[in-house]
Amino acid sequence: MAFLCYWSFGHRYRNTQRSEMRTGNRVIGRSDIEDMILRVALGDRAAFSALYDATSAKLFGVCLRVLSNRAEAEDTLQDVFVKIWHKADLYSVNGYSPMTWLITLARNAAIDKLRMRKKGHVDIDEVYDLATGAPTPEAEAIASSETSRLNGCLAELDADRSDAVRRAYLDGDSYKDLAARYDVPLNTMRTWLRRSLLKLRECLTG
Amino acid sequence: MSTREDHSDDAALAGEYVLHLLEDAERAAFEKRLADEPGLRDLVREWEAQFAVLSDAVAPVPPPPRVKAGLEKTLFPVTGAGRTSIWGILAGGIVAAFVAVGAVLLAPLPMDSLRTSPTFTANVAAQDGSLVVAASFIADTNTLEVTRQAGGAFPGRVLELWLIAEGVDAPLSLGVLPEERAVRIDVPPAIARQLANGVLAISDEPPGGSPTGAPTGAVLATGPVSDV
Repeated sequence: MAFLCYWSFGHRYRNTQRSEMRTGNRVIGRSDIEDMILRVALGDRAAFSALYDATSAKLFGVCLRVLSNRAEAEDTLQDVFVKIWHKADLYSVNGYSPMTWLITLARNAAIDKLRMRKKGHVDIDEVYDLATGAPTPEAEAIASSETSRLNGCLAELDADRSDAVRRAYLDGDSYKDLAARYDVPLNTMRTWLRRSLLKLRECLTG
Repeated sequence: MSTREDHSDDAALAGEYVLHLLEDAERAAFEKRLADEPGLRDLVREWEAQFAVLSDAVAPVPPPPRVKAGLEKTLFPVTGAGRTSIWGILAGGIVAAFVAVGAVLLAPLPMDSLRTSPTFTANVAAQDGSLVVAASFIADTNTLEVTRQAGGAFPGRVLELWLIAEGVDAPLSLGVLPEERAVRIDVPPAIARQLANGVLAISDEPPGGSPTGAPTGAVLATGPVSDV
């Protein structure tokens, strides 16, 4: 249709704040997120908007943590939601819990970007100070029993080694980064970390 | 013995893969295996799920609004500049006479009582199918049966139904669609006469409907009215 058009995005975004506030007052549970993803898979734009409002802060936090750069994290977050829009139909078959799926998408995209940056030039502009980012109660927690289980298993490792696993996951540190941090040869670092992973797995599946 | 070793090797390898610790060549080789080995995919999924709980330690940070705006522009792009003309220019109030119609929030009605054969029908749909509304007009009763088949209003917004009559530039409001999927709209005879060869359209509006009597938000879906 010739007149099918969007001439007024402003009207929609004027309303964003209100819906975010409402989202903030509600407890968003796993099934809500799952329901939104399933509706997004059917091309439901309203569900997509609601999913964005409910999860973008968490996913932006994940991207920022890895990238330590606001502009890059914004680009990455946008890419992640483009992917969510296009790939939501794969969600129901991949066996992930909804937040795990979303966080995995965000983290993978952020680390890909980080690795690309490290291969190219290093951009230290706009470094975001992560020290201010303390966990908040409204952070969508994945089942807390799982959290304490993983943390319990990590606690069984030497402090350095569990710290290395956390750094690899949360900050996207590479073997090279970790070897430099702990001042050991690269191969030693790899041996350490692989052993840590096997111990962790034994603990988690035991 | 060797199976067990292979398995623990793979478990560690899958963990390294999930942590993005593998070098490019190793990563590519691992991904090649992933395509053929369901067991390896399970290991990856397990690690992803285990490690995802570490993100609990990451504080949520609200992204700036421009990210969502950019996202919508990327996914649901604005098409040609000239296309804003018809409704945008006329938003000023030529159709003020019809505001009263638009202001009425239509009450939901049970659909099963209505089985008179329609005179006109329209399939009002977004190009990507994200919003689909079927409409049929019953001339005997001057009623329009409207059934939302897919999609809905954005949070905190409403959907408003319009008729763009043949030869008339300004759209006429047929009312705000309620949250219910099915609704019956009483169409004033003056508007009913203009349905033939017209186009129905749905726009995104603030609660209560367009304050101006002309569409103020994005046109989400359109569909020509056709004879049955």
